[in-house]
Amino acid sequence: MKFRSAVVAGAALLLTVSACGSNDAGSGGSGDAQKLTVWIMQGTNPDATSFFDSVKADFQKENPGTTLDVQFQPWGEAHDKFTTAIAGGTTPDVAEVGTTWTPEFAAAGALEDLTERVGAGKDNLVQGLVDAGTVDGKLYGMPWYAGVRSFVYNKDIFDKAGVKPPTTWAEIEAVATKIKSSQPDVIPFAVAGECTYCAMPFVWGAGGEVATDNGGTWTAAIDSEKAQKGLDFYTGLATKGFSTPAAQTWKETDLLKAFESGKTAMVITGNWTLTKIATDAPALKDKIGAFPIPGETGGIAPSFLGGSHLGMFKTAKNKDLAYKFIQLMTSDKYAAQWAQQANYFPGSKTALDAATKTDDPAVAPFAKQMTDGGKSMPVTPAWGKVEGAKTLTKLIQSVVTGKATVADATKTAATEMNALFKG
Amino acid sequence: MVDTQRLSRTTRPWLLLAPALVVLGALLIWPLVRVVQLSLQDFTLSNLVSGEDNYIGFGNYTEMLSSPLLWKTVLPNTVVFAVVCVVGTVALGTAVALLLHRLGPVWKWICSTAVMVAWAVPALTGTYVWVWLFDPLDGLVSHVLTALGLFDPSTTNWFTDRVSFYAIAALNVIHHGFPFVAITILAGLVTVPKELYEAAEIDGANAWKRFRSITVPVLKPVFAVVTILSTIWDFKVFTQVYLMPGGSGGNDEVLNLGVWSYQQSFAQGEYGKGAAIAVLLTVLLLLITAVYLRTLFKEKEL
Amino acid sequence: MQGVGAVAPPTVPVDSGNRRTGSTNRSRQQSSRAGRIGIGVAVALLLVFTLLPAYWMISTAFDKNAAFRGADLIPSGWTLDNFDRVFSDDTFGLYLRNSLLVAGVTVIAGALVTLLAAVAVARFQFRFRTAVIVMILIVQMVPLEALVIPLFIQVRQYGALNSLLALSVVYIAFSLPFGIWMLRGFVAAVPKEIEEAAYVDGAGWWRMFFSVLLPLVAPGLVATSVFSFITAWNEFIFALTFMSDDEKYTVTVGLQKFFGQNTAEWGPIMAASTVISVPVIIFFTIAQRRISSGLTAGGVKG
Repeated sequence: MKFRSAVVAGAALLLTVSACGSNDAGSGGSGDAQKLTVWIMQGTNPDATSFFDSVKADFQKENPGTTLDVQFQPWGEAHDKFTTAIAGGTTPDVAEVGTTWTPEFAAAGALEDLTERVGAGKDNLVQGLVDAGTVDGKLYGMPWYAGVRSFVYNKDIFDKAGVKPPTTWAEIEAVATKIKSSQPDVIPFAVAGECTYCAMPFVWGAGGEVATDNGGTWTAAIDSEKAQKGLDFYTGLATKGFSTPAAQTWKETDLLKAFESGKTAMVITGNWTLTKIATDAPALKDKIGAFPIPGETGGIAPSFLGGSHLGMFKTAKNKDLAYKFIQLMTSDKYAAQWAQQANYFPGSKTALDAATKTDDPAVAPFAKQMTDGGKSMPVTPAWGKVEGAKTLTKLIQSVVTGKATVADATKTAATEMNALFKG
Repeated sequence: MVDTQRLSRTTRPWLLLAPALVVLGALLIWPLVRVVQLSLQDFTLSNLVSGEDNYIGFGNYTEMLSSPLLWKTVLPNTVVFAVVCVVGTVALGTAVALLLHRLGPVWKWICSTAVMVAWAVPALTGTYVWVWLFDPLDGLVSHVLTALGLFDPSTTNWFTDRVSFYAIAALNVIHHGFPFVAITILAGLVTVPKELYEAAEIDGANAWKRFRSITVPVLKPVFAVVTILSTIWDFKVFTQVYLMPGGSGGNDEVLNLGVWSYQQSFAQGEYGKGAAIAVLLTVLLLLITAVYLRTLFKEKEL
Repeated sequence: MQGVGAVAPPTVPVDSGNRRTGSTNRSRQQSSRAGRIGIGVAVALLLVFTLLPAYWMISTAFDKNAAFRGADLIPSGWTLDNFDRVFSDDTFGLYLRNSLLVAGVTVIAGALVTLLAAVAVARFQFRFRTAVIVMILIVQMVPLEALVIPLFIQVRQYGALNSLLALSVVYIAFSLPFGIWMLRGFVAAVPKEIEEAAYVDGAGWWRMFFSVLLPLVAPGLVATSVFSFITAWNEFIFALTFMSDDEKYTVTVGLQKFFGQNTAEWGPIMAASTVISVPVIIFFTIAQRRISSGLTAGGVKG
């Protein structure tokens, strides 16, 4: 008898424990209609908390009786967080969505079509971000902020080698050669095997494409002659010894580390890293320079325009309220403030124009790269799969490690890509 | 009187088991069934949104089983790596447990705390630290080897090679996994009656013989548990491979079943295919465990 | 790994208990000097192997130039900035509290559930017993990554998302299989006669359980508690996905905030990891003290 009651007690304890959880089943959209839940990615803006305090005050003043609940989510595994929330119907009302995820979530039917709500306001949005958020002619992601990758270089190393920022591909190689001969322990240009966006400017700069759209059906073009030529040059910088074998498996974070150590002359990195480099490595503060990625024979090669959209999820209870929040966030005032604090560029043309009229010699090249040469990856829901399969990473890694030639590796990549496009 | 006793003898174990079975049933068994169901479907993110099923029979399995990637790369990587890790983890863990058991209280405390430190460092952090230590260009190991003239960082990146990649991963996994074995076996060692050793010593048995004839048989259930569980975990290793340079899919040569399954599901949104790979991994483990149990236990002992 | 050779079983198995009984056996005297040197070397190797990554983590946490430390054994400059950064907003402290709550519930409730189940399978013969034991193993075999979505949907159906206590129950499920398999051996090792003696003295089952069984299986219980503590403490993906309030995240999720989309703050990451590792060590030290006291209690009665 004693024993039985003990077990009952144990089981009861367990049930109580699990029942305690049932106070709030839903989240996000399932709340009341006057409460707006928003997910924002953490770490983009160091002043995010005070920024959203101000947004909250304004929003609740404009929409009395509402509450704005901003939840900060870490970037690491954010995709999993979205996926489970989509599966469980627990998505927030509005969320910051990485531009490459927008088509994927939209095609799955998780995002709300914003085309009508945006209306004519579309003309004032940065085109590259509109493209990235458009699926079948409908806009699913409101451009919020964007960034672009360019060359960042160490002025000290350049001075010692007596070289100036290159403006053509041939000059890149010449500069690298001079650095290598004058400072043998310096890496002239780190070719990071896991940074696909670092390689794309060379594909595009040679006049090539990753894939082409023929009325809705996409075909890989990475194995075209022009694309191969660009990749040949880029990976050649590694195989000719201007990089280092360690870089074959580097990600963008590793590139940054290598540059911060002061032993790397040139890297391709995003505008958002400039302040980070200066904080991490104060010694480099005044030695950081930047220049746009040159085209093969001059001009500016297009570079991937990355950033974030604000997306409204289908689970949103009060869609008008949700859109009011999106409008407030992308108003010139807040868009510019966020972009400035986070070291990005705003997603609206008027705010962007103001931001790019800069004299800051470190920011100006990025602004130029952004306005003159911002480009999207193929905008099709299937592109998410190509990214997931790491097709382009495998392509670059296999070439820089010497496991495949550019011709073979691009063929393999094109085959894989076409299979994924077919679905 | 007799009847109630018999009743309690049959119901008591079930009552004792009830809480555990409820938890496992509700949280693991049903989702497991769900994984099997998913593996029979063409299931993408859209299905997750709509909640609709889309059964396609064994399509995912035939595709997976006919993939050369599985047979040439993923399966050998998974199996060889797991074998190395299990042997390494159990051997090192046992040796450390025996060492700890022999030490005086102070050193025992120092060493077991050190062992716990290895376990306490989160796998994510541990992996990044090992990757730094083995950084081909600027890591401690490469500097030492370069100084000894054994290595040239200007020509080699050991993360791109399958064998050296997994050697580093194995070091990481063993480092993170052996504390569990050591602490568990130590817990077992303290329960072995001392009289057994004393009697054996009087009989003139040497140290190795005493280990073989007393420690091993008495601790057989403990060894079995740590071996089986290490096998299960080491077949499923994910974080320690995924976070290594090139480990997240940038280099097909170093894929293992865990990463492959994750890549199919979460990175490519092919939840059906990912589930099929997960089921394959489960079946594989089931077979291995069945063999273990057969050899280790008689039915009665189980 | 070199430790394995040096600590190879042949030199080891003299039971530490012998010291207490003061036995002076010949073999021990003969091998004493060589044995002591061998043990010294083994201890040194063990300490280096176990502590090197942790040392790297901790020293980088205090390093001014954490991001590009390279191969330097000693950081180039010392600072507390990284820890300042970790605790600059209140969230990390909050996450620590959440983790302590989750791990605490997991350990305590988990120990009870585990022990009851272990007694059932170790002390009773009943139909489907083998099936139950094997099933408990099988649920461990599916890769966790594959379970994320099914388990998420399941927990949502129970209405238990966003609850730290429900998260504990999930972790109990994860640590049950090891616990049951481990404790089963410990329970089985307790001679039935001791139990029966308690009944003869007039104790009921429950009293016998507490005063006889529990002290005797304490070492095993400590090992399983350490295991379930670490399981709950270091888990990340479920902690991230199950919570909808960012105030309910645990420390491992807190660690993630220092990883940006394409950037990482290495100094704060290492500082946060150091902070995360400390409670595990503390828990283990406390638990280990319990082993010895539990043992003495059990020893006296046995």
